[in-house]
Amino acid sequence: MIFIAIVLGCIIGALIGINMPMISYTYSGYLAIAIIAALDSVFGGIASTLNKNFDLKIFVSGFFGNAILSILLTYLGQKLNVDIYLAAIVVFVGRMFNNLAIIRRYYIEKWGKRAEKNVEIDNSNNAKN
Amino acid sequence: MNKKQISITLGIMCFLLTIAICVQIRTTNLANSTVSQTLSDNELRDQVLKMKERYDNTYREIENAQKELEKIRLTATQNDKTAEAKEQELKENNMILGNTDVTGDGVEIVLEDAKASNTSLNLSAQLIHYSDIQLVVNELKNAGAEAIEVNGQRLVATSAITCEGNIIKINNERIGSPFTIRAIGSQELLYGGLSRIGSILDVIRDGGNTANITKVDDITIPKYSGVISYKYLKENK
Repeated sequence: MIFIAIVLGCIIGALIGINMPMISYTYSGYLAIAIIAALDSVFGGIASTLNKNFDLKIFVSGFFGNAILSILLTYLGQKLNVDIYLAAIVVFVGRMFNNLAIIRRYYIEKWGKRAEKNVEIDNSNNAKN
Repeated sequence: MNKKQISITLGIMCFLLTIAICVQIRTTNLANSTVSQTLSDNELRDQVLKMKERYDNTYREIENAQKELEKIRLTATQNDKTAEAKEQELKENNMILGNTDVTGDGVEIVLEDAKASNTSLNLSAQLIHYSDIQLVVNELKNAGAEAIEVNGQRLVATSAITCEGNIIKINNERIGSPFTIRAIGSQELLYGGLSRIGSILDVIRDGGNTANITKVDDITIPKYSGVISYKYLKENK
């Protein structure tokens, strides 16, 4: 259910995004950092759904808040001549890997259990025969 | 928190995210195709792109302002016979000065540097020089050309054709081979004047260069994209 929604959202988004007007090159750096922040939020959302501690308010505020905050930090960094966006990228990508690891573990465990169950069923069937 | 709500929110977020990613990818693709792709030139590339963007924006503003001016002029001259005549005069003058796009029959001349395989002793003669273009333009004017353009650059009263090392500048814009010179005027006179034996095109061809002239109907010559400004001119009373 959740993954159907995600895939559907991605497909519609891609279709609209291809036909959207392009933004000016000056702002594309800010958009890039906002994309990283939002991507992190989405992975975080998926991970927390799997852990069953998903909170809508935290997710939505994180999605927009992180994006806006990272844009502001990038802007500030440009004014101060420090590449602050590097720090933002390190943090967000690090968290992204963490969340991906959580998602990966969840599914490996799930499939592992299922495989064990199948083996047990097979064994019991064999015993009957 | 039910599952439906979660999946709808996640779907919407992914939707927003993919839109942003698509737009970003397209923007960077465009940037890469406009300027060179070497990583070491990234800073310079950034600057070039930003400057280009600013230039484009300013140019668009000028165009809008000109349109606005035209509109104001039109409304101001409505229902006024003398003003209408003035307006007509203004239009004609702008056409001659090079402030508006013009169309008409004329000729097209293509000058191209000689191919590298051509082994002539005189290397300099194998290139199209700025003086060649000057001479061609001069002949065109002599034959009564009313509007002339070289590689998209309209020749106006202040235009200079200069040599800047290995490129040629017209109206301060760089142009390179092949040069397409288009002129509006009497097709017979222009064609006859330039295709006769011993004409400048013949001289250019002698070095191994290509120089072709063709009659073309309905040429559109763009307006001069710069601004003609003056400081020292005064009206003679």
